[in-house]
Amino acid sequence: MITLTINEKEVSLDKPVSVLEAARQAGIKIPTLCWHEALKPYGGCRLCVVEVERMPRLQTACTLMAADGMVVKTESETISKVRRGILELLLINHPLDCPYCDKAGECELQDLVNKYGPTVGRYKEEKRKVPESHKDQIFARNMERCVVCTRCVRMCNDQQGASAISIMGRGDHSRMEPFSAASFNCEYCGNCLTVCPVGAILSRLYMHSFRPWQVDSEVETICSYCGVGCSLVVQVRDDSIKRVIPKIGLGVNKGLLCSRGRFGYEYINSQDRLKTPLVRKNGVLEQSTWSEALDLVAERLSSIKKTEGGPAIAGIASPRCSNEDNYVFQKFIRMACGSNNIDSISRTGYAAAQKYFEELLGQGITTNMIEGLKNSEVIFVVGGDPTAVNPILGLSIREASRRGAKIIVLGNAKGLERFKTLQVVPPVFKDAEVLEQLLVSISNARGVRGEKLDVDKGIRALSDKNSGNMDIEGFEELKQALLNSPSTSIVFGMDLVQRTNGHRAIFAAAGLTYLLEARLYLLSDRPNEQGLIDAGCVPEMLPGGRPLNIHDFKRKFETEWGGPIPDEDGKTLFEIIEGAGKKSIKALYIMGENPVFNLPDGTYVKNALQSLDFLVVQDIFLTETARMADVVLPARGWTEKTGTYTNLERRIQLQKKAVNTASGMEDWKIISEISVKMGYKMAYSDAENIMDEIAMVSPLYRDLTYREIGKGNCLWPYHGEPLRGEIHELPAMVDTANVYNAEFYLTLEKPLFHSGTLSRRSPALMKICPEPTLKMSWAAAQKLGLQDGDRAQVLTAAGSSEAPVTIDDSIKDNKVLLSNNFEGKGLFDLLTYKLDPVTRAPGIEGCEVRIIKT
Amino acid sequence: MEKFLLRNIENPNSADINEYVKAGGYKNLSKALALSPQDIMDEIKKSGLRGRGGAGFPTGMKWSFAKADPKFPKYLLCNADEGEPGTFKDRPILEKNPHLLIEGMTISGYVLGSEYGYIYLRGEYPAAADILNAAIKQAYEANYLGDNINGKGIKFHLAVHQGAGAYICGEETALIESIEGKKGQPRNKPPFPVNVGAWSMPTIVNNVETLSNLPLLIEIGGEAYSHIGSKECPGPKLFSVSGHVNKPGVYELPMGTSLKDIIYKHAGGIRNGGKLKAVIPGGISTPVLPADGIDCAMDFVAMPKAGSMLGSGAVIVMDESVCMVKVAYRALKFFEHESCGKCVPCREGTDWLRKVLGRIENGNGKEGDIELLTDITGIMLGKTFCPLGDGAAGVVNGMIKHFRNEFEEHIKNAGCVLSR
Amino acid sequence: MFNESVLKEIDEIKAKYPDRKSALLPSLYVAQREFGWLSHEAMECVSKALNVPEAMVRGTATFYSMYKHRPVGRHVIQLCTNVSCMILGAEKLVDFLGTRYGVQPNGTSRDSRFSLVIMECIGACGTAPAMLVDTDFFDNLSEKRIEEILEKYK
Ligand SMILES: Cc1cc2nc3c(=O)[nH]c(=O)nc-3n(C[C@H](O)[C@H](O)[C@H](O)COP(=O)(O)O)c2cc1C
Ligand code: SF4
Ligand code: FES
Repeated sequence: MITLTINEKEVSLDKPVSVLEAARQAGIKIPTLCWHEALKPYGGCRLCVVEVERMPRLQTACTLMAADGMVVKTESETISKVRRGILELLLINHPLDCPYCDKAGECELQDLVNKYGPTVGRYKEEKRKVPESHKDQIFARNMERCVVCTRCVRMCNDQQGASAISIMGRGDHSRMEPFSAASFNCEYCGNCLTVCPVGAILSRLYMHSFRPWQVDSEVETICSYCGVGCSLVVQVRDDSIKRVIPKIGLGVNKGLLCSRGRFGYEYINSQDRLKTPLVRKNGVLEQSTWSEALDLVAERLSSIKKTEGGPAIAGIASPRCSNEDNYVFQKFIRMACGSNNIDSISRTGYAAAQKYFEELLGQGITTNMIEGLKNSEVIFVVGGDPTAVNPILGLSIREASRRGAKIIVLGNAKGLERFKTLQVVPPVFKDAEVLEQLLVSISNARGVRGEKLDVDKGIRALSDKNSGNMDIEGFEELKQALLNSPSTSIVFGMDLVQRTNGHRAIFAAAGLTYLLEARLYLLSDRPNEQGLIDAGCVPEMLPGGRPLNIHDFKRKFETEWGGPIPDEDGKTLFEIIEGAGKKSIKALYIMGENPVFNLPDGTYVKNALQSLDFLVVQDIFLTETARMADVVLPARGWTEKTGTYTNLERRIQLQKKAVNTASGMEDWKIISEISVKMGYKMAYSDAENIMDEIAMVSPLYRDLTYREIGKGNCLWPYHGEPLRGEIHELPAMVDTANVYNAEFYLTLEKPLFHSGTLSRRSPALMKICPEPTLKMSWAAAQKLGLQDGDRAQVLTAAGSSEAPVTIDDSIKDNKVLLSNNFEGKGLFDLLTYKLDPVTRAPGIEGCEVRIIKT
Repeated sequence: MEKFLLRNIENPNSADINEYVKAGGYKNLSKALALSPQDIMDEIKKSGLRGRGGAGFPTGMKWSFAKADPKFPKYLLCNADEGEPGTFKDRPILEKNPHLLIEGMTISGYVLGSEYGYIYLRGEYPAAADILNAAIKQAYEANYLGDNINGKGIKFHLAVHQGAGAYICGEETALIESIEGKKGQPRNKPPFPVNVGAWSMPTIVNNVETLSNLPLLIEIGGEAYSHIGSKECPGPKLFSVSGHVNKPGVYELPMGTSLKDIIYKHAGGIRNGGKLKAVIPGGISTPVLPADGIDCAMDFVAMPKAGSMLGSGAVIVMDESVCMVKVAYRALKFFEHESCGKCVPCREGTDWLRKVLGRIENGNGKEGDIELLTDITGIMLGKTFCPLGDGAAGVVNGMIKHFRNEFEEHIKNAGCVLSR
Repeated sequence: MFNESVLKEIDEIKAKYPDRKSALLPSLYVAQREFGWLSHEAMECVSKALNVPEAMVRGTATFYSMYKHRPVGRHVIQLCTNVSCMILGAEKLVDFLGTRYGVQPNGTSRDSRFSLVIMECIGACGTAPAMLVDTDFFDNLSEKRIEEILEKYK
């Protein structure tokens, strides 16, 4: 224990910290400029000088470690004089344009000068002149105001790991550059904005539109984009969002944000938002009233239920909606419509993988804290780029790498390119085979564990067929690294699920997790994929992951819900689509999803939906799917309603209402009103009321209250017993001895700057990334005679598209990548799929492509 | 005194290994390898050897810190950045006597348990780079470097790393940053390089001249070494003498030789029968001494008492024709140019000092400018991150202290009388 | 991109150090030699060859004064004007280079024959004033001697 005296106050520390932090712990504030709590100390500004007894000169508190018996004084005449002097030096080249500067009011320099600064300037020469740069769409850079504290550089290098900012030149010619304009790997996280103490880096999104003290309210909530569920603060004025900022130390992200979270909020204020219900009349969607629309939906669904039976109705839930919305939705489909046909787009990845992993290893197997990644010695990343899908989780991997952990990537490394220690590139689309061989080789070395008989059996079956060797570069090293690792994390991305043999990759990864006692993380690109499963929006499970086919569970819910749950097995997402095509599904209710665009083989999906008798789409935009609907119901979006979300580590968090809006209704409310009209009673007063019910019926959320959730530390299972829902018969592994010898294959890019179809309504994200690009390796571009920026036509068996080419050095195989976020230019229109027999997820691999320069 | 560091350099082939061996070179290495590292450490401590890079830190102490750190590998970096204006003392070793340095480094590597050495050579010495590389190649061939030195299973590898024009890289932590491929900005201390240095490993940084003393120390032993020159900081010392003297050049003299003797006895006195006006005794970062202040012993202990510092022992001699305001201005131009930009007082302070000195020198000085200068140096002194900023402030203060009238004249007469 | 032999040279440099980043300064010299100066492209090549972020390459490259960030003439004169050289007349030599060869500090003569860089101490104070022309060293300079020397640099 270290005890020191600061300003005559005794301070005891339980761990060694700097004098500055010790003072903060004691509530003593020492002025700083280059120091930032999220960054390593630097010692450049010298404002934090303090007097320390028995030390000859003034010491900088930020770099001086507190030692036992130290006697520190943080304010004195001498110290003030020094601070005044330093501030005078800082001001000699700093423009005095505070009235014009957007930072005024939250500028650290302004505050410091106000407290310690000189009253008159003695500097008579000309000030440094650097024109403000607006070269970038998002950031304005004003190098006259820069105080070279290097906080942005340290943020960008040490926290974000993008290393896009550097100080150019030296001495008084130092200026921060180059950053952004999409160059130098800028990831547009905007974390530099968080730390810039002055108006040197500013966001152009809200430039000159308000003063920081002019906000009506600040609401702490969570982000609406991905499965990490970052905490952020929404600043509101006149019921519109002025900006989104993080709060240092808060939430899973601890004050970091990614481009989507920080700059992607504008969609909510979009002109294109749906405002009133629409009803199709004579083939056209016309504006309607709530009562007309709701009556119509209730009436049509009731009549289809009556004539065709409940199972002719299906529902597609949404990983962008809250737990409450999804819970009410599945209850509605099951109880009011009488159908277990409820699934979601999560079937294309997360839900499919999650369910199989849990069947193999037990419920809760993927419940691991994102923080924990930082402490792993080996992180094995398969099936996708975490830094793009779940950027903040990706940062934990980068941090582990900086700490010296081994980062091993199977496939293309992308955002981990500079952080990986080992990369193994499988033959194209043979990732599952590599994982299987790896599993066999590890089990050869370690033996089976004997805890999970099914898994052991599966591993043995694999061993019979495989040698455990693979003749690809790095395989042996990979095996050794895993065998020797004291703590391993496996990060599993959805690229491997979207294969016709996706279940084999999952099994292999599960086997590795089991043998290595690794922590398993599933990447999740929507905010509530986990919550939606927990809420029961999967055909075979009731809320809380209770299997529907276990009679006791079903009975219990029937009692709680006051009626029979249908007996027929529910259909999964693609079975629902196929059912629609084959006319066994007559009516479809889609809540917050856009299958026509978001599912592979768009043409097929569209035709299938066209065959429906009745299609209801509930959304915040008139999406490709909504345009086909018979009734469109306007919902409320992020910041317009309150609800809980469960992130990929199963932290249940509160997304709060921050603005008032006239348009749209909460999803759960629309549904419960229809339900009532259909004769099944739902009487929820608000979202909290729904959570009370969930907390009662779902073992995973048992006893959960909004008050508890609001504290931010509710991790699943909450007071509940995780259910070990093991299976007893492994599904037979399906052999797919596909040969992939085409020159190039088209596959999906999960981009950093976009997410689903929301981000394309976000002007800032559209500025950062205005259109999809065709990403390929340098070798591929050479072969095709293409250069960076050339436009090329993409031709597959299913269709064609056009896009500019981006050469991506991190691509090491013959895949060509295209994202699926832009209207009319998505990848999924160019692909067909085949379902994996076990997970029922769509396999989209092996799409041969021709690329022609245009 | 018999020359040791500059022994044999008149020989046009002095850089060749054969000539070096002929003159007795590398025998001290063999002698050292027959001793235990600890024995040599004891000799070094006994010798009282202090670093010749400027700070005069006791070498034995620094080495024992590094040795005590169990981390491995340890790196030995030779500071050949020689950037202090007025200094050109390491250059004859680098260009004419490279094997002395290599021998010294190999011995040091052996003592420290370090297997890798780098010579951080300033970019401004391209010729020295070629010479050193050739010498290193020869040393490898002769088995004075490599995996099995002298057949004793001792390993030491050496390479040259060229800087690229940054004075601050002479500061040891900046040097380490630079060799790691970054900008040369000083690091916070602690941790000290002896514990966390290059590539996060224990690292010893020593000046060329310091390391070149090792063979001598082995040759004559610590005891005898401690009797050369000053008591508190013994040994031979290289002095670079430049400016208005008859015989400028590098002189190897015992530590503690008087400044006056250096100028008048060794460097032949003031050129063209001129009159001495001022001396910068230890390189431009050390405060100036007036003509009547040169009766002092040139060593690390005596010089601070005389109002300046030994620094790198670079004596810049100025006769009456020199305008001190101009010298101050030029010095500050240097510091402004070389400030790394990390800390505010140095980055902004050197710029402001330069500008104020510039306007005084150019005849636009205002009343109160001298006070302004001392105010600015007051903000800087003791508050900069590393000694560079302190040095800059000290130089201005020294000039004002001894030549205040010249500043006042400049302001009064709107410019320099000397240059009219 | 660098050609094979340059990449090989850089690989050899990398092998000298425990960490690839350490090869940055020497590799920048190589790039400067290959491109004549450190153009954007030159630094991009270094960034790729070492897998060091481009911003870091640029930041480092601009910190050191011996890297050229503009095209230079066929020969670069690096003249010291620090105190020892200054008090022995280096400034007059700067003027001389301007009038005689049309080259200003940090500039290039119109015929692209010379660029002039003002140096801080090049360690020749004992034989001041001094300069480097490309990598050749000359001291005890006078106007006449400069003329003689530069004769050889066309
Ligand atoms: C601004 C600054 C510049 C320095 N330049 C040099 C230099 O050029 N050469 C040198 O040997 N030491 C230089 N030093 C001293 C080094 O930091 C360090 O003390 C020295 O290399 C240690 O070696 P020594 O113990 O053998 O003297 C400089 C220090 C500072 C603060
Ligand atoms: S005093 Fe500060 S700015 Fe100057 S060189 Fe040292 S660290 Fe850099
Ligand atoms: S806060 Fe300590 S030096 Fe800047």
